Amino acid sequence: MITIQSALTGLLLGGLYALMAAGVSVTWGVLRIINLAHFGMILISAYLTFQLASDWGLDPILTLAVTVPAMFVAGGALQWAYDRLGISELNSLLASFGLLIVIVQLVSNVWSADFQRMSAAVNPYATASVGIGRLVFPVTTLLAFLVAVAFIAAAELVLRRTFAGRALRAFAEDRTIASAFGIDHRRLGIVLGGLSGATAAVAGMLFALANALTPATAFEWFGIVFAVVILGGIGHLTGTLAAGLLVGALSGVVSVLLSPAAAPFVLFTAIVLALLLRPRGLFVRAAQ
Amino acid sequence: MRRRGSAVVATVLLLAITACESKSESDGEGAPAASTEPIVVGSTLSLSGAFAATGAIHKIAGEQFVARLNAKGGLLGRQVQWVVRDDESDQAKVSTLYEQLISQERVDLIIGPYATPNILSAMAVAQRHGYTMPHHTSVLAPLMTYECQFPGWSIGPKPNEFVPNQLFDAVASLPNPPKKVAILTNQNGSTDFVSYGSQSDQTGAVSIAKQRGLTVAPEIRYPPSTTDWAPLAAQVRDAAPDLVINHGLGVDPVNLLQAMAQLGYKPPLMFSLFPAPGPPLGLGPAAEGLLSVTIFEPNKSTLDKLGKEATEIVEEFKTRATDAKLPYTVFETQAAASWTAWEILVAAVERSGGLDQKAMCDKLHSDGADTTFNGHLDFDPAVHNFWRTTQQIKQIQSKDWVTVWPADRAAAKLQGPPAA
Repeated sequence: MITIQSALTGLLLGGLYALMAAGVSVTWGVLRIINLAHFGMILISAYLTFQLASDWGLDPILTLAVTVPAMFVAGGALQWAYDRLGISELNSLLASFGLLIVIVQLVSNVWSADFQRMSAAVNPYATASVGIGRLVFPVTTLLAFLVAVAFIAAAELVLRRTFAGRALRAFAEDRTIASAFGIDHRRLGIVLGGLSGATAAVAGMLFALANALTPATAFEWFGIVFAVVILGGIGHLTGTLAAGLLVGALSGVVSVLLSPAAAPFVLFTAIVLALLLRPRGLFVRAAQ
Repeated sequence: MRRRGSAVVATVLLLAITACESKSESDGEGAPAASTEPIVVGSTLSLSGAFAATGAIHKIAGEQFVARLNAKGGLLGRQVQWVVRDDESDQAKVSTLYEQLISQERVDLIIGPYATPNILSAMAVAQRHGYTMPHHTSVLAPLMTYECQFPGWSIGPKPNEFVPNQLFDAVASLPNPPKKVAILTNQNGSTDFVSYGSQSDQTGAVSIAKQRGLTVAPEIRYPPSTTDWAPLAAQVRDAAPDLVINHGLGVDPVNLLQAMAQLGYKPPLMFSLFPAPGPPLGLGPAAEGLLSVTIFEPNKSTLDKLGKEATEIVEEFKTRATDAKLPYTVFETQAAASWTAWEILVAAVERSGGLDQKAMCDKLHSDGADTTFNGHLDFDPAVHNFWRTTQQIKQIQSKDWVTVWPADRAAAKLQGPPAA
C-alpha cells in the first residue's frame, strides 16, 4: 500500500514538473531558445502568489488573475528581445542564465534570502487532501496534475487544430520555408513566449501552495525539469507530460522500495539509459 | 638620454616600493597605539545561494554588534570597520575571498563565515596565515582541528552523542516516554553524523536509541535535494512511532509535517535538529509541539535573568531584521551564535591588548571570553576549543518557541503528546 501511495503522489507531483517543463520545452523546440529565465519567471510568480495572498488575503489560486497576465507580458517581451537581438540557440542559454541570476538577486533584494511561506491561515490547501479508502490525494499535487493535463491537452489541440498552431509547427520544422509562405514568425513567437510565461505563472502558484520559498530554489529545479524536457522530447508537450508523470512516479517508488537517497541515482541512470536508446526522447516517434 | 630616463623610472619605482612597504608596516600587526585608522575585520557571508537565508541573519547581527561596539568607543580606542564579502554559498569562493582579505587587503582581524563547509574552507586559510578565527556555527568539533579557531556555538566535543542523549533524557521525563522512534536523516554533513557518527566514531542517534532499548523504525536517509516527501511520510505513518526524529535542515520538518498532514497523520511527538525557526510557526496546529535545539530563545524568564542589555540587543535586532524584510525577526540561536563569535573576537583583542594574532589566540586559551548569551567560555585546544555546551531543547507551544529542557533552565514545561 505504501508503494502504491508513493507512486500515486509521485505521479501527481509529476504534473508540476511537466508544467514547469512545458514552457522550456516549447520555446526550445519551436523558437530555438533555451530560456533559463523561465525558471526566474516561475520564481517571481511564486513570490507574487505569496505576497498577494499574505498581504491582501486573496485565495492563492485567485492570484493567477494578476500573475498570468503579468507573466504573459513578461514572456512575450522577453521573446521580442531575444528576436530583436538575434540571439542564437546556444547564446540564449548564456543570456537567459545571466537574466536568471539578475532575477534571483532582485527577488533576494525585494523579499530577502530567508524562507518565505504562506501561513496556514491564507493557504488552506497546504495540508488538505482527498481520500479514497487508504489512498490519499494531496490537494496541492492533485491540482498540479489536473492543471498540467488540462493545459497540455488544450495546447496540443491548438497546435494541431488551429492555423496558428500549424504555423508554429511549420516554423519549427523549417523557418525559411515557413516565412516564404507568409507566416509571421515574430508575432507568433511573441505570443508563444507570452503563453510560456503564463505557464510559469501557474507553475509558480502551484509551487508556492506546497513549499517554502527562497531565491535559490530556482536553481534546484534545473535537473529535474531538464530531465523531463529531454525525456519527453524537446518541443513535444504530450511527451513532456508523460515524462513528468513517469519521473514523479519512478522517484516515489524508488524512495519506498530502496531509499530516498537512491532516487536521484536510479532516476538519472534511467534517464541516461533511455536517452542512449531513444535520443530524441522517450515519447517521440522515430519517423518524426 | 635613455640612461637618464631609466634612472628616473627606477627612482619612481623605488619610491613607490618604499611607500608600499611603509604602508604595510602601519597596517600590520602591532600598529602604533596612536593610530586613528579603523581596525578592519574581514569576513565572508553567504548573502546569496543555498545558505543565504541564514547568512542574512548573521549579517544583521554582525552589523548591529559593530555599531554598538563603535558607539562604546570601538576597540583599543579605534573604530571598527567590518568588510563583508558575499561568498555565494560556494566553498571555493570562501577560500579565495579569505585569501584576498588577508593577503591583499591586509585586514587586521577576521571572523568566520556561516555554515560548516564554508567555515572549514575559511579555517584552512586562517591556519595558513596564522590568523585567529572566531566563527558562528560550525558544530562539527572533530573536523575543527586548527587551534586558533573558536566556535560561537558549541554542542561540546561530541555532538553525535550529546544531541541524542539530551533528547532521549528529555522525552524520558514525560509520563509516557516513547518506546518506538523513527529516525529520518538528511544526508548533509551537518546532520548525517548526528544519526550515524563519523568514520572514527560511529556513535549516533540510531545506535544510542538501540542502546537505550528503543525500537527504531523506520530509519530513513534522504538526500538534501528531496522534493517528494510523501514516501517518507507514508512510511512513518504506517510504522506509527511514538517519536519522529528528523535530523534535517531548513524547511525539512515543515515539508515532512505537511506531507504527514496530507496523509491525515500527525506524529505524537517530533524533533527536528536544525530547522529554519520561522516556517514551522506558519504551519499552525500541524507543527504544535515540535521540538528542536537552541542556544538562546528570548523568552521573558531568560531575558529577565540576562538583564537589560540582552533585552536591548533582542529589541534592536528585531527592528533591524524588520527593516531588512526578514520574515522571522526574532533574535534566537543563529543571531546569538553570531553575537558570541563577535564577543570572542573582541575578548581576544582586548585581553591581548593588540592585534597580534598569536597573542590573541594564546589569551583566549588562557583567559577565555565573557559573552552575553553564553556566559564565560573556556577554550581547551585538546577538545578543539569546543566549550561546555549551553544547548537546550525548545518546543512550539501556543505558536511560539519556548525552551523546555533542561528543566532547571527551561522557560516552560516540556509537553508530551495529548492523551489519546
